[in-house]
Amino acid sequence: MSTQEMPRSAQSNQGADAVALYERSGAAAYGVSAEQFAAILDEVFRKCLSQGPAPASIEQKTDFCAALRLEELALARACAAGNERAWQDFISRYRQKLHSMALHITRDSAHAAELADSLFADLYGVNAREGVRSSKLVSYTGRGSLEGWLRTVMAQEFINRYRKQKRTVSLEEQTEEGVQFAAAVPEPAATSDQRLEAAIDEALAELPAEDRFTLASYYLDRRTLAEIARSLGLHESSVSRRLDRLATGLRKRILAGLRMRGMSHAQATEALETDVRDLRVNLRSRLTQDSVAKTFPESKVQARDAGDGKQ
Amino acid sequence: MTEVPKIVYDRLRAASPERAHPDADLLTAFAEQALSGVERDGVLQHLALCGDCREVVALALPAADMVSAPIAAGTEAVRAAKIPSKAERNWLTSGTFAWPSLRWAALAAGVTVVAAVLLLRPGKLNQAMPPSLSPQVATSVPPFSGTQIASSQIATSPIAPSPTDQSASSAKSAEPLPKSNLQSSKKLRAEPGATRSLPAEHAILLAENKGHSSQSDNLSPAAAPAFDSAAPASREATEALDVAGATVGAAEAAPTAAGSLMARNDAPAIEKAKPAPPEMEVNELRKTEAAAGSRLAKVQGNNVMSTARLASTAGPALARNITWTITAGALQRSLDRGQNWQDVLRADHPLLCYANHDYDVWTGGQAGTLFHSVDGGATWARVQPSSQGRQLSSDITHIAVHSATEIVVSAGDNEIWSTADGGQTWEKK
Repeated sequence: MSTQEMPRSAQSNQGADAVALYERSGAAAYGVSAEQFAAILDEVFRKCLSQGPAPASIEQKTDFCAALRLEELALARACAAGNERAWQDFISRYRQKLHSMALHITRDSAHAAELADSLFADLYGVNAREGVRSSKLVSYTGRGSLEGWLRTVMAQEFINRYRKQKRTVSLEEQTEEGVQFAAAVPEPAATSDQRLEAAIDEALAELPAEDRFTLASYYLDRRTLAEIARSLGLHESSVSRRLDRLATGLRKRILAGLRMRGMSHAQATEALETDVRDLRVNLRSRLTQDSVAKTFPESKVQARDAGDGKQ
Repeated sequence: MTEVPKIVYDRLRAASPERAHPDADLLTAFAEQALSGVERDGVLQHLALCGDCREVVALALPAADMVSAPIAAGTEAVRAAKIPSKAERNWLTSGTFAWPSLRWAALAAGVTVVAAVLLLRPGKLNQAMPPSLSPQVATSVPPFSGTQIASSQIATSPIAPSPTDQSASSAKSAEPLPKSNLQSSKKLRAEPGATRSLPAEHAILLAENKGHSSQSDNLSPAAAPAFDSAAPASREATEALDVAGATVGAAEAAPTAAGSLMARNDAPAIEKAKPAPPEMEVNELRKTEAAAGSRLAKVQGNNVMSTARLASTAGPALARNITWTITAGALQRSLDRGQNWQDVLRADHPLLCYANHDYDVWTGGQAGTLFHSVDGGATWARVQPSSQGRQLSSDITHIAVHSATEIVVSAGDNEIWSTADGGQTWEKK
């Protein structure tokens, strides 16, 4: 078991607290001893609380522990250690869910089965190294729910696979999928106008991270308001209001930035307007659903030409 | 939605993160709103620049269709319970007088009127009646109270006409039912004769509805919430009909038996269920059923099945069938032993634990969040334990329900809070 390597640090978590945490986790039922559990906790502390220069205070640790999913942590680590009962529990709780998660992520039953099975293999630790199974569950720290973690791991696996596969698919499919996963394909920056780019970059850099996340999710990744709202823990209507505010504010800032760089108001507006009109046409063609992949690059080229011509 | 210039897209896309991707743990905690300020900012900084991780977070969100109406109702109740001044407004605008529940309140009122008429004039109703009967009756009989007048007038046109119409709207409109059902039954307490028949009829109507919807699309997600919200209704039905062990037994057999076979097997079950105390009313109800549509006979198979299943929701037998879990900070419920899960409560802080005793469900979470439901999760009330001027505000990590009134809550900082009166007064140890 990977956690046995650090008995030294276990003492920092001793006392009545550690006993209470151990009891709360129900780890005993899965054959995890109090010392082992303390070691697991200590590993989690070091992983999550050691960003600051000073070691974590007792209060910090207490707060942190209170938010941990101790029971799920115990289950995951016991599974990783190969406890039979833990595996039975894990399978009865999550096997069904894993399959429906995979279906939700892949939206295709064949791929879903493949994805779920391969994740299951990773979780079980089929790839034995030097006779020791290495289960992916070892990296779970109980900060979020185990189910959420499983979903995230699965999504990561899916994205990775998609990346690998993409290199072998035909060019046509690639462009199609490239549209669907727009964010995944980094494109060379437009060479239209340095001033415009600089002004935009500046305006974007001024945004708080959460605003930029919202913008990118909505406009770039085409996430729905509901999805963004759920990932930020907000109400849909607040996301909608924020997007409106952001789009308006961003526009103003870019225009101001362009004027600072020597454009007249009319020139600046035009530089932006051209693109907006182009975007609307582009959106319409997307909505009509024919040859999505073709219209996208073409219109982009036109837009850049038009932008160049104006200046 | 205001659009953003397209070139902005390119610039957004051109950005690439400087630091390594956050691991699955952090992303999960972020999506579940479990991160504190600094860490959350760090993850957001990365996400703002990294399309891959944004996609992971988006893909890893729980499926949207899992979050259905009951949770909305739950959150509404949560808000209502939390901020008293706003509560009333919320309740008025979105609860009581919102159209979907008005429709059910209206249906309930209409049904009461019909039931009352049937009670008053039993003799004339033995012969079959055309489906258009109910609107006529509803308008011709003096209604019981102001609210009911209003609602029954609204009601008769969209709802009363025929079972087919009801079935069409049932899947959607069944969701807000528990609330309106409670309301209508409260309203009707004043009229003893009608009151007892109402929930029973309501349940049967519901069973019909369910019968229709499950006919067209068996076990569909839409049907599930409908079935779900039938629980409180059928509970009242049980009170009214006093359904005996026989039905529950039949009900338990229901999920396992094949549909057609069951329809025949269970036909006696409904017969058994009916000779219950308010016998006259039940007989009347049967007549209504017969009158309401000859079609009913055809769907009897389905009907019986859903009645049986409904009955199973009614007794403690069902309470054992409900399984609960906490996922992503939300309380989930399954009515089919873990096959399908449905969010029932998502509070403003992540929930961490739950405990239940039949229909009595308690759930607690971070920052002293504590909720209690007495109806199997259909409605929730926020509970704030306080003792000697001190409030429970640490994370609730464990709840033990010893009986309907004796609850022990363990919270962070080794606090133990207990109540002996179902949450009215608390004692801190």
